[in-house]
Amino acid sequence: MANTQSSQAFYSLTLEASSAPTAACTCNVIPGLKLQDQQIFEARGQRLYLHRIIENSDRTEVQVSTFLDQDVFGIVRGVSAFRIPGTSTDQLVVSSDSGRIVMLNYDAEKNVFKRIHLETFGKSGIRRTIPGQYLASDPKGRCCMLASVEKNKVVYIVNRNAEGGILISSPHEANQWASLCFAVCALDTGWEHPVFATLEVDYNDAENDPTGETYENREKQLVYYTVDLGLNHVVKSWSDTVDYTANMIFGVPGGADGPSGVLVCCEDRIYYRHDKSGSLCIPIPRRKGAGEDQHRKRCIVAGCLHLARTKHEFFFFLQTDDGDVFKLTMSMAEDDQGRPTADPEALHLKYYDTFPVAKHMLLIRKGYLYIAAENGNNKLYHVTDLADDPTVEPWNNFSSAEYGDLLPAQDYKPLYFKPRGLMYTSLAVDVPSLHPLMRTTVDNPLNEDAPQIYGIQGTGKRSKFKTIRHGLNIQEIVSSPLGNVDCSNLWSIKHRASDQYHSYLLLSSDYADKTIVLGIGDEVETMEESPFLTNRATLEAGLMGDATLVQVHARGVRSILESGTINEWPTPSHRTIVSASANERQLLLGLSSAELAFFFMGDDGVLNQLEEMPEMSGKVTALSVGQTPKGQMQAKFAVVGCDDCTIRVLSIELDSPLEPRSVQALSAVPTSLEVVEQVDPTTGVGVTYVHIGLQSGLYLRAVIDEVTGELGEVRTKFLGAKATRLFPVNASGGAAGEGESSILACSSRPWLGYNHPLSQLYTLAPLVTSPLDAARGFVSEHINGLCAIQGTNLLIFELSSLEGRLATEEIALKYTPRGMCRHPYGTTWWVAQSEGNVLSPRTKATHIANEEAKKLGNGVNGEDAKMEDGDEDGGVKIDEDGEKLTPEELTPDELERHLGLTKATGHWASCISAIDPYEAKAVTATIEFEENEAALCVAAVPFEVRNWEVFVVVGTGQHLQPGNTMVQSKGYVHVFRVTDEGRGLERVHRTEFTSPIYALHPFHGRLALGIGAELFLYDIGMKHLLRKTRGAAVPNQITSLTSQGNRLIASDVSESVTYIVYKGGDANRLIPFADDTVQRWTSSMTMLDYETVAGGDKFGNLWLVRSPEQASKESDEEGIGGYIVNERSYLGGAPYRLELRAHTFTQDIPTSIQRTALVAGGQEVLFWSGLEGTLGIMVPFVSREDVEFFSQLEGLLRSEDPPLAGRDHLMYRGYYVPVKGVVDGDLCERFLRLGFDAKQKIAGEVEREVREVERKVQEMRSRVAF
Amino acid sequence: MADKLRTQQQLEQLQNKYIGTGHADTTKHEWTSNIQRDSYASYQGHPPLLHYMSIGMGLPTERVRMHCMERMVLPVGVAPAVED
Repeated sequence: MANTQSSQAFYSLTLEASSAPTAACTCNVIPGLKLQDQQIFEARGQRLYLHRIIENSDRTEVQVSTFLDQDVFGIVRGVSAFRIPGTSTDQLVVSSDSGRIVMLNYDAEKNVFKRIHLETFGKSGIRRTIPGQYLASDPKGRCCMLASVEKNKVVYIVNRNAEGGILISSPHEANQWASLCFAVCALDTGWEHPVFATLEVDYNDAENDPTGETYENREKQLVYYTVDLGLNHVVKSWSDTVDYTANMIFGVPGGADGPSGVLVCCEDRIYYRHDKSGSLCIPIPRRKGAGEDQHRKRCIVAGCLHLARTKHEFFFFLQTDDGDVFKLTMSMAEDDQGRPTADPEALHLKYYDTFPVAKHMLLIRKGYLYIAAENGNNKLYHVTDLADDPTVEPWNNFSSAEYGDLLPAQDYKPLYFKPRGLMYTSLAVDVPSLHPLMRTTVDNPLNEDAPQIYGIQGTGKRSKFKTIRHGLNIQEIVSSPLGNVDCSNLWSIKHRASDQYHSYLLLSSDYADKTIVLGIGDEVETMEESPFLTNRATLEAGLMGDATLVQVHARGVRSILESGTINEWPTPSHRTIVSASANERQLLLGLSSAELAFFFMGDDGVLNQLEEMPEMSGKVTALSVGQTPKGQMQAKFAVVGCDDCTIRVLSIELDSPLEPRSVQALSAVPTSLEVVEQVDPTTGVGVTYVHIGLQSGLYLRAVIDEVTGELGEVRTKFLGAKATRLFPVNASGGAAGEGESSILACSSRPWLGYNHPLSQLYTLAPLVTSPLDAARGFVSEHINGLCAIQGTNLLIFELSSLEGRLATEEIALKYTPRGMCRHPYGTTWWVAQSEGNVLSPRTKATHIANEEAKKLGNGVNGEDAKMEDGDEDGGVKIDEDGEKLTPEELTPDELERHLGLTKATGHWASCISAIDPYEAKAVTATIEFEENEAALCVAAVPFEVRNWEVFVVVGTGQHLQPGNTMVQSKGYVHVFRVTDEGRGLERVHRTEFTSPIYALHPFHGRLALGIGAELFLYDIGMKHLLRKTRGAAVPNQITSLTSQGNRLIASDVSESVTYIVYKGGDANRLIPFADDTVQRWTSSMTMLDYETVAGGDKFGNLWLVRSPEQASKESDEEGIGGYIVNERSYLGGAPYRLELRAHTFTQDIPTSIQRTALVAGGQEVLFWSGLEGTLGIMVPFVSREDVEFFSQLEGLLRSEDPPLAGRDHLMYRGYYVPVKGVVDGDLCERFLRLGFDAKQKIAGEVEREVREVERKVQEMRSRVAF
Repeated sequence: MADKLRTQQQLEQLQNKYIGTGHADTTKHEWTSNIQRDSYASYQGHPPLLHYMSIGMGLPTERVRMHCMERMVLPVGVAPAVED
């Protein structure tokens, strides 16, 4: 890649899709399921997902399993589901950036989304006046509304025709000039005309009034739009002024279920409004607790409705911006006879529980609450109680009765409550997510087989330092030492073929030449008396026929009949058995004389030998007979590998025993062979595969032709440095369900080859554990997993899930991480963390001390003290009641993690931590920053003047106010000495600067740092840093730095990157010599080579720019006499301009980008990670033919499989700048999911076989990544 | 003359349909307001961008979205007084 030619093209692939939810709703799309069994329709980034909640009968094991996901190549903004009366499943509606409304159905047979309607209503792209920002659908499924932030609204009416088809009307517009729309929701009107409610502000008058008076008196309106189904139009039917801070509205059930109307959520208040009844209001209770600001107002950020149709009861869950969830219920006025009317009388709030702040909160009828979290893992909670009992925690009940119709300006006594641990719910599933991913680094400090991805993720108290490895996590159940016996193989055997569980476990040691027999019962114990031979190493053991146990050792075959009779078959003289393989009926032995011996078992359980003993071309190293196919007596083929690097396929059917069928040459000696019948998921037909493990650590998989026995479709993968050994196993994710036949390949690390449950592709994934020597299936009464030999231990484990592809280790951090770096020579990491709008521990302690002092000063009659007392009373009461419900018991630290940090506007909490992710697996040292400083970046700098001693340098900003450009804040650079190999930190000094420090970089034994638009070089001094040189670098603000040799690259906050050359010696100058023509709001960048920079920007683009050759040459001329020094600035910038080499739109904001290899022995790729949790790569194409092939394929797929949401693919990838030099691998991989006909058609166009196209597409990924 | 009238009508139609279509007397205030409104609409419309800002500001995305919406009302302050 060093020689990036002008035509270098890249293949862009997503390794892990974005995990940040943008929209979610519940739906019923699977026909035949109960209405209760709801699915979740979720949009994350550019993908749509359908999840199901799977639970076992006693609800102890719950899983959120994704059964469909699809890349729509568009920005999804809203999703909704509704049931058109008279249809059996829900319709899904997606609003995206395509300017079109998409209606989807779920096709359960094919497991795909089926597009029902695609209606265009506006231009594509995310624009101010093109509807799509808001999406609401009528609860009765008659129409849906899309709205834009300004002016436009469009309503589609949907109907069902006599044939069961879905009809969609032409768009009905309800546009209002100069009006801003803050929120949209659908009213529940029963079967009357559908009504949509919106929150609107008219800015027309305010804009035209130079005095500003109208602006001061601006109003927010709650507007009703009625869809008149008879007249087929939309009218604005009602509007009324609401509290100006209103941000969200929810429709209240109507018709027979409730009073209809809307809940208007404002800052600090919740109103009930409707055109047919009076308004109600209740304040949002505020948190009470040590250090809490008593005057801070909350707003509602998410909510969901639960409606019990049969009982006509409903309630809302509403979440505040702290994460506290309140249950809102309404009580109705009663008429003269005491019957409830549809006239609401009061609102009631009850503090429910605290959850992570949700983007969307979904209440699932089965009794779960799904939190699509804004930051961090999505969570599924099991709802144990709905807080219906008012006597539980009565101090957490609040009612609007005492407030009446509260005017917005009216002063009132706020409500307070004390948050606590979970009480009504319990966490059922923690769905692993990667958003927000602040930074990643691919590194391999301990020289593991493959590099790991280190990332800092999360916000606030839920921040994590993550070590991400490609692979499957295992759940270790037993790991017991076997003593000093070095076992090499093991077998788990059933006693009878009809048994459900395994009874024997044989461990064989080649070195000690013996076999250990273990019995599997409630415990796994050594069997003293067993029919097996123990003083020899076992080559193969298994159950044959109905109940014959067969043990093959070097000198013979012992078969133990059910009756207890033992038959021995001794080897012919001067020959030993070197390898053996058996299935239910057939046994094949390889002898030391290169002869093969074949046995067939009759119904009597006795082995009959074939007299013929054909000789192979070389020493037999491995052989395998296929498993007996279901319902048949014998397998068709056996495969024999010899030390002349060949494998031969032989027929082992009784009418043509040991007849050679085909030969295949290999690159190395085969060490292990397995013939396995696996289902080809695309066709659903069983196919016989031969899996081949080679001495060189390669693994191959080929298909055996059913008829001819020819081998074909060979796929290769390098697994590790050790010879590959293969073991057929049945792998199942979780305890649920029968496992599919898979292959466990043991090399320098274990790999599992299986058909991925979601993508339906054969996948090879490493298991995240130490190397295994051998592994087999293990089924007992309590365990359905695998057993393996790991060094000198016997390991029994289960695979938790086969769905995910990444295994993650986490270390908790204190605040939102902002930057990280690794010890240049060691294995510790340092993470700079800072959190805005929260109290630092020290400030909090001062606040608490002040409060205490005030309370003491005021005496017991103080208001605060009174409240505390009241609370204590309540606390006592619950003890007396002996209530069953109690909140989880949490330590203060856990409670803070659960509830979040104490918030306070304008305050910052910040620290630097040292992390040892290998041995201690914890944070080893933390130093807090004080005086309202916020750490922004960190670098490890070896200073030359200190004999290259490594110092940790942290750049901070003081009194930062993001979003407020008026405030000029100061910055500091802190220097820390490293102790204990990096595990400890010690303050050295800090240096003050005039602006916050965003970029630090070690440069030639000194520190390069950006202060505003200028670049400085500093050296370390005794009391502070010493300035060595400075130079103007970029137009606005340096946000990151990198370097190679004397060349420094500085990225600007808004104006791309600038190349700077440092002229050392006497000149001591920094000279910028090349910059960009396009404004790129660089969020991350790296030097791909000396001339090229790859970077990402805040709008979601990835780009590659390269310096012109002349500029590059000139800049490197010796000394200060060169041409570059006197070069004139061109158009107010640097003398030269960079050239754009590649560009694509990724949607996610790239926060890290790095040139690295991701797999052992793989080519280097450009790895990037995005804020929303995306991990992606850009693979440089090696050959011209590949570029042509994939561009052609991409083009064909664009027309053959156009994006689901109706966005043009080319337009999408060229969202800001036209795509250049990048082939979209995600689109190419859509080929694998196409139907047979479409595949054939495309393959025909590119003049290749379907299989070949599939192989090429898959190899593009497996060669360099996972 | 009829041509001129039609052009005028077409322009007005455009201005009605597409907010921000300028005319000969577009003031600086109108122009900048328009750009700002477009920007604020774009920040909200692109979920990653809104998320990015919310992390930077230490606020929930809903608060940042409200802030963006609110700024759209009068993004660059009140209009300067017009001299007749």
